[in-house]
Amino acid sequence: MEFEPMDDFEEQLKRSFQRWPAPPSLKHRLMENRRRRKERPRWFALPREVLVAVSLCVFAGVFAALYGGIASYHAEQQRKGEAACRQVMTALRITNHALNHMNKQLAAHGRGSQE
Amino acid sequence: MAHDWQPDFEQLVDEHQSMVFSLALRMTGDRGLAEEIAQDVFLELDRHLGKIESAAHACFWLRRVAMSRSADALRRRKVRQMDQWVEIKEHHGLQPEPRTSPLGGRLEGLLATLPDPQRAALVLRYQEDMTPEEIAASLDAPVATVKSHLQRGLKLLRAKAVIHLKEYVREKEYARGV
Repeated sequence: MEFEPMDDFEEQLKRSFQRWPAPPSLKHRLMENRRRRKERPRWFALPREVLVAVSLCVFAGVFAALYGGIASYHAEQQRKGEAACRQVMTALRITNHALNHMNKQLAAHGRGSQE
Repeated sequence: MAHDWQPDFEQLVDEHQSMVFSLALRMTGDRGLAEEIAQDVFLELDRHLGKIESAAHACFWLRRVAMSRSADALRRRKVRQMDQWVEIKEHHGLQPEPRTSPLGGRLEGLLATLPDPQRAALVLRYQEDMTPEEIAASLDAPVATVKSHLQRGLKLLRAKAVIHLKEYVREKEYARGV
């Protein structure tokens, strides 16, 4: 058997690589998709200025919510810290008071035994 | 820029659906994916219809976007097996021409085994009959790169075709001997 002459290999490629016919349903589905797309409400089709303004508002809202959240968290932490500090100071005062009282008693006891 | 050409979407689909589908099919090797790509490309065209200046511009735009979408799809799904090409032929039904030669029917399969850039260049060259300069513009690549892809792709395809023909002849001779 003779090989096909490879000189016309490129011609063979051209013949082999003809376009395939598109599936018959392709156009129908495409037009249907297009129609549905056009019917769908397209908020993103609003004028650019409106989209920018809405985006800015959303951004500002998110920023304010975040900032508010962080500030509120800090205030809460500060309040808890101050309460803890007050509790420690009270405990220290009580301890101090008890120690003073014990000191006085010891001193009185020392004086009594000397006499 | 003002232009007189009034694009008719439906007419553009009629004229170019075969081209877009074939490019996507030869690049991806997957019929379903090729149909999806073709739909995406035309819907994208619909969105950009106002910017299309002429029939030639529409054709150029469609080729470019079809190749780019196919490359994206290939990056996502590496579908390049010969089996799928056989499946395509079995299910597609229509053939562009009767495959009389032993090589003709296998070239598509052999094409599928080439690296993506070489395959893209060869498809545009031999399916769309484009010059290297036009291919370079469509693929957004330097002309020298495209020429290199064409040369290497052709060389590789030729080598694969020779091997395939030798195997074909051997099988025929064996069958005759039996």
